[in-house]
Amino acid sequence: MTHTVHILLVDDDPAENLIMRGLMRKISSAEIHLHYCQTIDAALDFITSGTPVSMVLMDNRLQQCDFRETVPALRQQGYIGPIGVISSSLADPYFQKFEEYGADFRIDKGELDPTAIEFILREYVTRA
Amino acid sequence: MATDLKNDQRYYCDSDLEKALNRVDFFRIFHTMTLRYGFDHFGILQLGNEGDACTLTNRLALHDLPSGLADAYDKRHRFGDSAVFKSLHTSSIPSVWKAGDPLPGHGGNLLGQLGFDMLMCVPVAGINGARYAVLFLGDGEDMDRQAHFALCYDAVCAFDYFYRLVLSNKAGLGLTPRETEILRWISHGKTASEIALIVSVSEHTVNSHTATILKKLDVVNRTQMVAKAIREQIIQ
Repeated sequence: MTHTVHILLVDDDPAENLIMRGLMRKISSAEIHLHYCQTIDAALDFITSGTPVSMVLMDNRLQQCDFRETVPALRQQGYIGPIGVISSSLADPYFQKFEEYGADFRIDKGELDPTAIEFILREYVTRA
Repeated sequence: MATDLKNDQRYYCDSDLEKALNRVDFFRIFHTMTLRYGFDHFGILQLGNEGDACTLTNRLALHDLPSGLADAYDKRHRFGDSAVFKSLHTSSIPSVWKAGDPLPGHGGNLLGQLGFDMLMCVPVAGINGARYAVLFLGDGEDMDRQAHFALCYDAVCAFDYFYRLVLSNKAGLGLTPRETEILRWISHGKTASEIALIVSVSEHTVNSHTATILKKLDVVNRTQMVAKAIREQIIQ
């Protein structure tokens, strides 16, 4: 039986939504519903709307802020599911403190392939 | 964490390893290493005792095998009977296995059963002597000696960090401030989801911290955890 997984992608670049949808189509171990928000405000509204969210993939930088502000904002909204921070570069030293800001994991956009998605789903969603 | 371990006889100083914090970070490191050397998948296997009943699923400490592959294998085969598993208990020399090669001695053909053409086994050990092996699987035809040596070295280094940060039994080590905070909330009777809301992390993170606290205090459940923490005056 395949699980139904609702993933919320928060990224200010709509092209990333298209890329992520292409990636998710290659996942066979779960039925993935990918939801997309372009801003943190839209994401906060989505979380409070009651739509189930199994996991959030949060782009590091959204307009003027980064995950150090956006992830705590999601937590303050009461979201206790897994949050992964995605970025095109994990080199900034503040990424070492991602757990302190309420994120569960970090991953480079270049590393996100179907195998990585399947691993993350096993670790944080389907096994939970 | 390893700055005190550096010395001039090491060839490896990978910043990703220095920065790795959790299982996803190590997945990223091993997955990237796997692809860099032309393999498709990796698995870190806990060896244990040869005589113990074992399944592939239960022995895999971290892997990127396709979902369901290990389960499907276990339904049809006995991992403990495979020639690879037996070989890992008779020698700690790294080895390369190819689908067409004759198998040494008696044992199941793990490669054929999993559906790959090539397997590289790198036996490794934790600092306490616990034995593991890093397996790399793919459909390549062969690898040269230099690549073989380089992959062995990379795998040993990455496993060393993985073992110390994730796998090792941390009994007797002190709790971090976040772990102490979670322990305090547990002692107040809060559930994992309630603690997640209070401390602004995911429920998964709370459960992960709880598992670490159990290891560090060397206890088996939350009741014993709180009792020991009070007895040792970690919490009031």
